[in-house]
Amino acid sequence: MRCYNCGCDLTGHNFCTNCKVDVTNYKLVISASNLLYNDGLEKARVRDLSGALVSLHQCLKLNKNHVDARNLLGLVYFELGESVQALNEWVISKNLQSKKNVADDYLNLIQSNPGKLEALNATLKKFNQALTYCYQGSLDLAVIQLKKVLSMNPKYLQAHQLLALLYINSEEWGKARKELERCLKIDINNTIALRYTQEINQTLGESGTPGSQGKGKNTVKASLTKSKNVSDEAYQYQSGNETIIQPYKVSEGKTVTSIGNLIIGIGIGLAVAWFLILPARIQHAQAGVNEEMKVVSEQLDVKSATINELESKVKALENEKQKLEGQLDGFVGTGGTLEDVNNLLQAVRIYIETPEEVMKISEYLEKINPESVTEESSESFTALYDLLLGEVGSQLGEQYYAAGMDAYQDGDYELAVQELTRAAAYDATNVDAYFNLANSYRKLERDMEAIAAYEKVIELFPSTEKANRSQSYINELTAE
Amino acid sequence: MINFEEELKKFHLSLEIEEAEDALYRKNLTDISDLVVEVVKEAKQNKE
Repeated sequence: MRCYNCGCDLTGHNFCTNCKVDVTNYKLVISASNLLYNDGLEKARVRDLSGALVSLHQCLKLNKNHVDARNLLGLVYFELGESVQALNEWVISKNLQSKKNVADDYLNLIQSNPGKLEALNATLKKFNQALTYCYQGSLDLAVIQLKKVLSMNPKYLQAHQLLALLYINSEEWGKARKELERCLKIDINNTIALRYTQEINQTLGESGTPGSQGKGKNTVKASLTKSKNVSDEAYQYQSGNETIIQPYKVSEGKTVTSIGNLIIGIGIGLAVAWFLILPARIQHAQAGVNEEMKVVSEQLDVKSATINELESKVKALENEKQKLEGQLDGFVGTGGTLEDVNNLLQAVRIYIETPEEVMKISEYLEKINPESVTEESSESFTALYDLLLGEVGSQLGEQYYAAGMDAYQDGDYELAVQELTRAAAYDATNVDAYFNLANSYRKLERDMEAIAAYEKVIELFPSTEKANRSQSYINELTAE
Repeated sequence: MINFEEELKKFHLSLEIEEAEDALYRKNLTDISDLVVEVVKEAKQNKE
């Protein structure tokens, strides 16, 4: 504490030790000032900003050098949207105490951000413009301007108050009440807001009879009444010729509206998902499936080609197998090479053991396929066969020829054909065997075979008597 | 009953940043100590 007269620091005495002036009352004043500061601080802490403003102003009336009170006053002004007044208080505070002063921080915070400062100034200008509109009677423009102001600085108390007044004037009670509620959130004991709220409540609660008109042009004209049919949560009033029912609890309406908006938003989201996102997902999935189908088709083609190739190989192998089986049958089966060899060996064995048993030898020789002897057999087989045939062939030929002729003379031409055929086979030089074989065919009226046999005679024994006779028979047979 | 015109008169134009300096100079910073000093000074002058 400093002496108000000389500025020297005061002690516990009731006088200044420097200028000797009495400071008893001064100390009381300073004490009262501090009490008011504390009161202002308490009120500011509970957002009773109006009360804080009064206390801090009184504090500074008693002690203009109270730096903390001035800083707090600036802060309260700033909270209420009165930026210039806040800056003034902080500037004065800084001049009173240049060091260790929180006002310095506040000022630096604002001055270091030119954009913020410009925005604050623009807010003030717009509010002034709105107030000018009100003075000029352009209330709609004022409302628009105030909405802009509040969008820039939602804590501008005076703008809320003015907007509430405009809503009250236009009998928009719900909106007015909302603005007043916002005022009271910023400043819980704001006198104007409380008074307007009270006025609205009284107007809505103590209204006269329905259909009553307002008393003046600029007076709130609505005459309101509680309807018997309307619930306690709503009130009904007459505005001109219109009966308006408005709920008391606007917040419930807000809640319902919020839920409605939420449901609409969800619906829109689902619609967007259904019409925009889902088709894209389906298309993407279809593209994936098509790609997989393509890959699978390619694999199927490759496997089909492999199967065809394998089937071709199987067919080739089956053909080869059949061919080999045929060859094996040729060697092993009836009339096969092995059997021919076996028969020849049997014939040779019999010839060696009992050369006179030519008929037995003949049995085995006849089992040998004559075609295989010439085409498929080996040289040794052919040589052995020819050797054996040379040894016993003439005898066999003679025996078969004799048997054949006996049968021929007996008229058994069938047997004659068999015997003479063997005789011709074992003795190719026996022209009689051939000739009588042909005769046997002729007797049996097997003309074609007879002609062939006669032609054989002409071929093997040309220019012989038998050949001439054969030709004669051929002529006869062909003439028939 | 709220009178719009009367209520409107209670609203004042806000100070803008450009006006801050002038407002600062115009601000009356006199406190009770200044008044006491002034009163004492006048009393002394009257005695003389």
